[in-house]
Amino acid sequence: METPTTAFGLIERIRQGDRDAFTPLFEKYQRRLAVLVHYKLSAAKQRPEDIDEILQETFLAAFEDFGQFEYRSPGSFLNWLSRIADHVITDEARYENRQKRRGGEMTRFRSDSNPQGAEPADTQSPSRVMAQRLDVESLLEKLNVLPGQYREIILLAKIEGLSTQEMADRLGKSREAVALLLHRAVQSFRKIQKPNE
Amino acid sequence: MSEAAPNERELRIANAMAKFVDCEALGETTTIAAFCEVHQDLQPELGDQLNAMASITDEFFLDAPDRPESLSGHRILDEIGSGGMGRVFLAFDDRLGRRVAIKTLASKYLNNAQLRTRFMHEARSMARLNHSNIVRIYNLGQPGEMPHFVMEYIEGVPLTQASQALTLRQKIEMMHKVVTAVEFLHQHRVIHRDLKPANILVGHDLQPKLLDFGLALRADDRERMTQTGVFLGTPRYFSPEQVRTGSPLDARSDVFSLGTILYELLTGVLPFRGDSFDEEIRNLCERDPELPRRINASVPGELQNICLKAMEKNPADRYASAREMAEDLERYLAGEETLAAPTSYSRLMSGRIAQHLRELDRWKQDEIVSDAEYRALQKDYSRLAEREDAWILQVRRLTMTQVSLYLGAWISVLGVLLLVVFEYKSLAGTLKVAVAAGATIPMAYLGIRCWKQGLLRVGVAYLLAFCLLMPISLLVAMGEYRLFSVVAHTDWELFTGEPLGSFTFKTITNAQLWWALLLSLPAYLWLRRFTRSSVFSLVFAIAAGFLCLIQLLQMGLLTWEGGKIYSHLIPVAVLFFVLGMIIEKLRYPADSRYFYPIGTAFVWIALTGLASSNDYGIWNLQRIGRIASWDLRSQVAYLFLLNAGIYFVLQKICDRLPWDQLHSVARAFRFVIPSHVLIALFSLGTTAMDQWNKDTANLAFRFEARTFEVLLPCVACLFVYRSVPGQMKNYFVWGMVFLAIGIINLQQDIFKEGRAWLISLILGGLLVMLTATNYASLRMTASRWFRRER
Repeated sequence: METPTTAFGLIERIRQGDRDAFTPLFEKYQRRLAVLVHYKLSAAKQRPEDIDEILQETFLAAFEDFGQFEYRSPGSFLNWLSRIADHVITDEARYENRQKRRGGEMTRFRSDSNPQGAEPADTQSPSRVMAQRLDVESLLEKLNVLPGQYREIILLAKIEGLSTQEMADRLGKSREAVALLLHRAVQSFRKIQKPNE
Repeated sequence: MSEAAPNERELRIANAMAKFVDCEALGETTTIAAFCEVHQDLQPELGDQLNAMASITDEFFLDAPDRPESLSGHRILDEIGSGGMGRVFLAFDDRLGRRVAIKTLASKYLNNAQLRTRFMHEARSMARLNHSNIVRIYNLGQPGEMPHFVMEYIEGVPLTQASQALTLRQKIEMMHKVVTAVEFLHQHRVIHRDLKPANILVGHDLQPKLLDFGLALRADDRERMTQTGVFLGTPRYFSPEQVRTGSPLDARSDVFSLGTILYELLTGVLPFRGDSFDEEIRNLCERDPELPRRINASVPGELQNICLKAMEKNPADRYASAREMAEDLERYLAGEETLAAPTSYSRLMSGRIAQHLRELDRWKQDEIVSDAEYRALQKDYSRLAEREDAWILQVRRLTMTQVSLYLGAWISVLGVLLLVVFEYKSLAGTLKVAVAAGATIPMAYLGIRCWKQGLLRVGVAYLLAFCLLMPISLLVAMGEYRLFSVVAHTDWELFTGEPLGSFTFKTITNAQLWWALLLSLPAYLWLRRFTRSSVFSLVFAIAAGFLCLIQLLQMGLLTWEGGKIYSHLIPVAVLFFVLGMIIEKLRYPADSRYFYPIGTAFVWIALTGLASSNDYGIWNLQRIGRIASWDLRSQVAYLFLLNAGIYFVLQKICDRLPWDQLHSVARAFRFVIPSHVLIALFSLGTTAMDQWNKDTANLAFRFEARTFEVLLPCVACLFVYRSVPGQMKNYFVWGMVFLAIGIINLQQDIFKEGRAWLISLILGGLLVMLTATNYASLRMTASRWFRRER
């Protein structure tokens, strides 16, 4: 491989000024972030179009503020994106009634007039996006069946990819409690899946 | 999550899992197998747990799962999608030169016999069907390759996405095709079970195509018709019985999903939303969807009805088949009246009513409506919202058909009534009974049939006619077979068979009438139960009222002796009030409201009768009068005053009781108070005046006459103002009328030619007007002044 495609490698490429590395980096996190955003949104807004919009805004903001990102662990980039998504959602809610979008910012994607802008993250063929959406949907279907507390711990472990210590800090629990919770969440998931297998 | 305390082994497994998660989080590559090697002692649970944890996200993280080069001789070009069971590829058939879609079963399910069977089952279900709106199956995979089947490739987008650019009519035309295709499935005894927009692709030619039969069931596959307790598919488009464990499924379950899809097409949102999966399921099972027209006002009412009818919670209330739904859509497209009237039609109204009530709240705040009007309107609305009276919403308008229905019913009833009243020599005995029964029984049959078919207003017309015919035919039968024909009290027999002019009436005894009504009552009760329409309670109440009267007749209590009969009506009135209260207490307010007016009417008749026949014998007024050394000259007038007092007390009692409908009874009593009081005062005044005119020297007579003369306009004014709190227009009107009479009286007797009187009237009126104009500021000043005084 000539160019690194791991998250760390991509981030390093961007740091060295390779702006083209954004697209694969974002693509890598797109679906995980979609799942996280899904659960951040209120039920009324959990529609694919809304989630796509939040994702676009989030990646745009991440592209703008990339300088502020600091790599600490494999999970930290997603964690950072997740926090940006929180801001985007709050802003979205605030601007919801004002239909006027921040017009200037919309042109910052790469275009003839703005060659320095980011490439839109959504450059795939429609069928590809569809396939991914189905992936996301099938995951959501599985997670939705779980009780809230179990779902949260699985999201933290599998989607955000946090370590148990990070989860413990986030939830304000001991590491042992987190381990047990995760264990039970997986048990509960198995119980629900069982008749299907 | 109350679970048993963890044992030591459980804790160790949890700990091992945590370690594995940490490894993943830190980016250390490790496999489950390798990890389990290290923790041999925790096997096999640890392995199962880790595999399960991986399986939650495994499809999700398979970035580029390897794709076969070709399947069944088709070149794989791309992956189009992946569902719960496997992936779908776009492939090219080199021999026929066309693109195909190939659905495969995910490799991890290869060893799952049940899923493999289901997968093959899907292919076979689809292969049997040949319909232009159902995706076609070309080929089933060979045993050597991964399980798959080859089907028509549809270049299209999901239904909801495709419909965004369409007009309403195009959407409905498309929906009609979908519903027809589903009906085709049902005819071939296949239930889709997973109808959702994502499973309905729409191509450029706007032809929708049904696909993904992953959950389809053969309708004759009885043992699998019930759910196993697992959600398969997307629950958002499921019917309530699909998410309930163990409920039987049939074609109407698909009808519900179609309704949900139609709802989404019309409104752009899903009908059952919630913050969590559990809440969505709860809403699906328990709550009514928001009315489509409230989300999108441009949705036509007919479509809303069709949509809601398909989405009835109870399968029996839905369209019985997709065909019926398709037919209703066709009717809509043809501009005809649709048949859909959701059984709980009022639910639909309740949306509008809620909106009106909100507006009403605003009006109340802005003081456009008074408190009393507000309450009255609110009550009217709540009546409208009552579910039982669904048919009323259909008969609100007097149309040609509507009027003809009732006219026809009335003519038939009158026809049968003639049989009771007159002797028909040519129609004697059983023949006559047969004619009456021949009119009655078809009425009941047709009424019940129409009601069952959802033709509520037609059904009610027939059933009401039946309600009248039933006692009449019973009377005919009893008359012919000489049942209960012994006359109990000759004075009070209704028709004694004596000729009146040139007519000869038949003899009908009270006993016959009594039995006819009594036997009809259960039928009315049954109709009330069957239709859940409270109109039959009205019929019941009226029949019961007559029954009571006839009972009194039977007992010989209704005899003209000094108006005593009227006092016997009071217990009947009390009976009706008690009945009404019991029924209201049993939470049938729509039914109880028919009992109160009958009770009220009995009270009115009884009290007015007692007063006008001058007989309150029981209270021995004359004796009291003598004791108080009154000369009770015009007793009638005093008795009317007494009545007003009784009404006042009754009104107060009714108002105090916590039942809503008794408040309207109170209103009814209050209604008669002003007329009784003012008429009594007026007549007392005139008699006193006559008395005084006869004996002008008697100062006592003079005082009495003058008192009444002044009292009348004063009380009239009082009543005018009394109209404000209860918004009683009759107080206002009666007050105004008698004020005029009182003033004219005064003018005639006291102030003849008195200029000062005339001018003071004009000025007084002006003063009142000016006070009213500046009422607010005057009140402020007054209250300030009072405060300073204190």
